[in-house]
Amino acid sequence: MSVPAILGVSGLTKRFRGTTALDQVYLDIAKGEVVALIGPSGCGKSTLLRCLTWLEQPDDGFITIEGKPFGRETNGTVVRRHGGRQIDAMRPRIGMVFQQLNLWPHLSAIENVIRPQMVVLGRPREEATQRARALLASLSLADKAQHYPDALSGGQRQRVAIARALAMDPALMLFDEPTSALDPELVGEVLALLRELAGTGMTMLVVTHEIGFAAHVADRIAFMDKGRIIEDGPAAQVMNRPADPRVAAFLNLIGSGRAPLETLAS
Amino acid sequence: MAFDPSILVQYWPLFAQGAWLTIQITAMAFLLGYTVGIVVALIAQIPNRLVRILVAAYVGVLRGIPFIIILFLVYYGLPFAGIRLPAFVTGTVALSLFASAYYAEIIRAAILALPRGQFESARVVGMSPLQAMRHVIAPQILRSLVPPSTNMTLTMIKESSVLSSITVAELTYQGLIVQGNTFAPFEVFAAVTLIYWAITMVVAWLAGLLEARVGQAQQETIIRNPLAAEFLSFDRRPVR
Repeated sequence: MSVPAILGVSGLTKRFRGTTALDQVYLDIAKGEVVALIGPSGCGKSTLLRCLTWLEQPDDGFITIEGKPFGRETNGTVVRRHGGRQIDAMRPRIGMVFQQLNLWPHLSAIENVIRPQMVVLGRPREEATQRARALLASLSLADKAQHYPDALSGGQRQRVAIARALAMDPALMLFDEPTSALDPELVGEVLALLRELAGTGMTMLVVTHEIGFAAHVADRIAFMDKGRIIEDGPAAQVMNRPADPRVAAFLNLIGSGRAPLETLAS
Repeated sequence: MAFDPSILVQYWPLFAQGAWLTIQITAMAFLLGYTVGIVVALIAQIPNRLVRILVAAYVGVLRGIPFIIILFLVYYGLPFAGIRLPAFVTGTVALSLFASAYYAEIIRAAILALPRGQFESARVVGMSPLQAMRHVIAPQILRSLVPPSTNMTLTMIKESSVLSSITVAELTYQGLIVQGNTFAPFEVFAAVTLIYWAITMVVAWLAGLLEARVGQAQQETIIRNPLAAEFLSFDRRPVR
């Protein structure tokens, strides 16, 4: 590829006290691509996102963001680790939306979006406020700007978390199971929002249990099992003709979970 | 032997001087001790085994030995290092060290009680550890710091009486002097008791004000629903 990928992951490995959480993970994401990361629980999906943001230090392997090394780099045969400042400087390029959102409860919704812009990017308050207002408005939260996170619904909180990440103008957005902490009736709303975000050309990596999202919104599906990406391809291909029997078994299992409900209803 | 309050009238300047020095020493030890406590609590956040061991050693030693021994170690140890300071300074430093270990633990526990995700979400947008502390962690733990810090400060005010054993002329020392002149220990220590009690009461009252203030600031943000806030506020009963 001549155009460097937005995200490049090669040989990423992470061990926790003997167990291997990530085992030689390779993943490239091109600009504007939406990749769904699926797999059984405990397979290392969340660990991968935590390593991509350097919240966990991978033991081995390399990450590049927009072609620039992140966390560590090789100079010939020497591996050089990046310092804290260097890592902090790269972090705004990656927007992360946590499963638990982790909004700051002592700050109003709009202040949650303003503060990081001022502290990290050094934007003046007026500019940061303008950007925050525009983002909240586009996420239909204009009237909730002054509310505190506790006074917002689950869906509204999630949109504030997304606005907080987008305000940093990231090149890549990471979502950790964006629907799992929500009431079931809000799932559709969030999926529509993610689809809208994908429509703006945002590059996204979404860890999800929503096979529907993976099938209909994602360009690509990466399937993870026991810390390895064992299948990675166009969404339709992975859904309909999975090459690996483990992927087929997993998709079958999810499919069979629904079957009894349908028979009950009929 | 009758209770004779006249000696208190005669010697009140000594009691006043002693009380004033006690207040000065504890105020300085509070400022110095809290500053060191904050620094130690922040250093304790560094994920490094050596750092963790050093912090545990600092806190463990200062919490594990009686204050009077800390005082003697500093008082008799500093001249060995060629440092000669007035007893008043040595005593204040020892008191600060003693308090700093407890303050550090109070702050560390408050940080630990916050969900880890608060710190991580601040780091992930690109804030440095100190920026995350300043903008995300500190404002959230402020209120929970007040009651245990008050406790420790009251303890420290009382422990400052130990400084009398290295000839610092604070309240207890002056009490001993007056007692030596008058041979009326009960009157003297009754007066000393009252003065310590008055000082600690004032500090506890100030801490109560501070807590209410910080609490109110936080409560305004806790009652985030304007309708609920209207119902819960005492001064603006909703008219319906």
